[in-house]
Amino acid sequence: MVVGLKDGLKLIGISVVSCCTVFVCTFMLNYYIDLLPLKDSLTDQGTIQLYNAQIATAKLTSSLAGGVLSIISVLMLIFYIKLYIDSHSAQLGIVKALGYSRGKIASKFWVFGLSVFAGCAVGFGLAWAIMKTIYKNMTIEGVEEITANFHIELLFALVVVPTLLFIALSCLYAYFALKRPVFKLVKGGQSKVKVKENAKAEKDRPFLLQMAINTVNGKKSLAFFVAFAAFCFSAMIQMGISMKEFAAKTMGNIILVIGLVIAIVTAFMAITTLINSNKKNISVMKAFGYSVRACAVCVLGGYVPIATIGFAVGTVYQYGLLKIMLNLVFKEVEYIPDYTFDVKAFFITLFLFIISYLVLLIYYTVKINKISVKEVMTEN
Amino acid sequence: MIKAENVTKSYGSTQVLKGVSLEIEDGEFTVILGASGSGKSTLLNILSGLEKFDGGNVECCAQCLNDLNDAQLTLFRKKHVGYVFQQYYLLSHLSVDANVKLGADLAQNKNYKDIIKAVGLGEKLSRKPFALSGGEQQRVCIARALAKEPDVLFLDEPTGALDENTGREILNYISQLQKEKGFTAVMVTHNSNIAEMAEKVIRMNSGKIVEIYKNENCKSAYEIGW
Repeated sequence: MVVGLKDGLKLIGISVVSCCTVFVCTFMLNYYIDLLPLKDSLTDQGTIQLYNAQIATAKLTSSLAGGVLSIISVLMLIFYIKLYIDSHSAQLGIVKALGYSRGKIASKFWVFGLSVFAGCAVGFGLAWAIMKTIYKNMTIEGVEEITANFHIELLFALVVVPTLLFIALSCLYAYFALKRPVFKLVKGGQSKVKVKENAKAEKDRPFLLQMAINTVNGKKSLAFFVAFAAFCFSAMIQMGISMKEFAAKTMGNIILVIGLVIAIVTAFMAITTLINSNKKNISVMKAFGYSVRACAVCVLGGYVPIATIGFAVGTVYQYGLLKIMLNLVFKEVEYIPDYTFDVKAFFITLFLFIISYLVLLIYYTVKINKISVKEVMTEN
Repeated sequence: MIKAENVTKSYGSTQVLKGVSLEIEDGEFTVILGASGSGKSTLLNILSGLEKFDGGNVECCAQCLNDLNDAQLTLFRKKHVGYVFQQYYLLSHLSVDANVKLGADLAQNKNYKDIIKAVGLGEKLSRKPFALSGGEQQRVCIARALAKEPDVLFLDEPTGALDENTGREILNYISQLQKEKGFTAVMVTHNSNIAEMAEKVIRMNSGKIVEIYKNENCKSAYEIGW
């Protein structure tokens, strides 16, 4: 087997994002479907307004969460497959050299799609586990309590279809990524090294700064995931806190937890990959006498401005989204307070962000400390 | 001066060094010669502070390495040691200039470009390692080690991955630079021909030193067999 089940298990990040996506989409769409037949029975104008707001919220939330998180899952999957092919390039090249066709090798990458199945199945199950509580929290005044009905089409659309799509995507992407000639695969290394030779700028910079810049430039996809993690952290925690004033507490808590989980998993995935791909460089630096702190700062330091940008964009995004939701979705509904920027939520999130950053820095400094300087010499 | 007394080292139940003792004078070019598995690389790693040992005493550059912790060993390597690896281990996303700066910045050496010129790569400062030949990459590795102005240069089979012509060229660079700058050089090799270039040869077998001798007439890289 070219791709082992063990490799598939490393894709926990994709599973978590898929899980969150399907979790949100399941209860929102289920609620939406169960809500639709009630439309004709409503007569009171206020109730109709609330009903329309709930319908719009369900549609907006499921399409936003589903859309954004699905894109992230796709990017994560492609990132992992690329990483796998780059790090197993020699073995894949040998298999290809032995005469296995590109299609045959690529077909073994279906294992990567399993991570999506695991996430979707758990997300669907979780949503059903708390469906009753959510329905209770979303009760519309003047409307009888809605019963949660199981819709088989949702199971198909949110679990079966994404799994099949991601399996197909895994095989297809691997098929194109394995296009490289056999000798290039056997030689190993990255698919394409796009490094601008800006000698003049490099000459003036101290080594540690240059290393930090090149580490970020060398793995732009990781920079994206770091920014995304900070974005999720900032947007969803602030949204979770701010929302409690005009939405059900459960909804606020769900958003807060989902934001935290996605941010932590994505940051963990990105930084672990970063450290693993820089193990050799760190070993060499340590062999030459650079301290653990210097290694940590130059490998991780370049991502601090990117995380800060992610945090800032997340803040603006959540403010904009809540403002739009309240202005458009709830514009006709009474008793919805005017939404202004929640300064308290911002500072709480910023404080948590700084704490999380410090915890991550300490954790990865310990990890870097464990990288043996001898490791580089026993490796071929 | 490097001094080792009765050094032992084991990996699990396998004893790799069985009481090794040696002395290397300042400015001396020493070769540690031995077959694969003789313990020569482990000894080099211990002398250079890359690895801890189980028993005995090691002194390098007037510093006792016996009880140093990881941070102290790092500081020791920073101050005194240069290292040339068999597989080069250049930082692939950095240019020749930046790779050499890795060593130079530790010693705050502003004149590191002279060393790059001395190894014949003055015209290739902005090249990345993948755009260099094996011999050129090894020369960058040597420049990187020398740019930190080490008291001792440790070389682990520096020509092990190179063809004969390039290997001779590299050995010639090392020998010339060692004479010119006067640093101590300790090189590990399995090639007994290369040992003819060294002032002192320490021959190892099965974790023990079996012979230490001095060469009366050191040969140049182009005079030795291959």
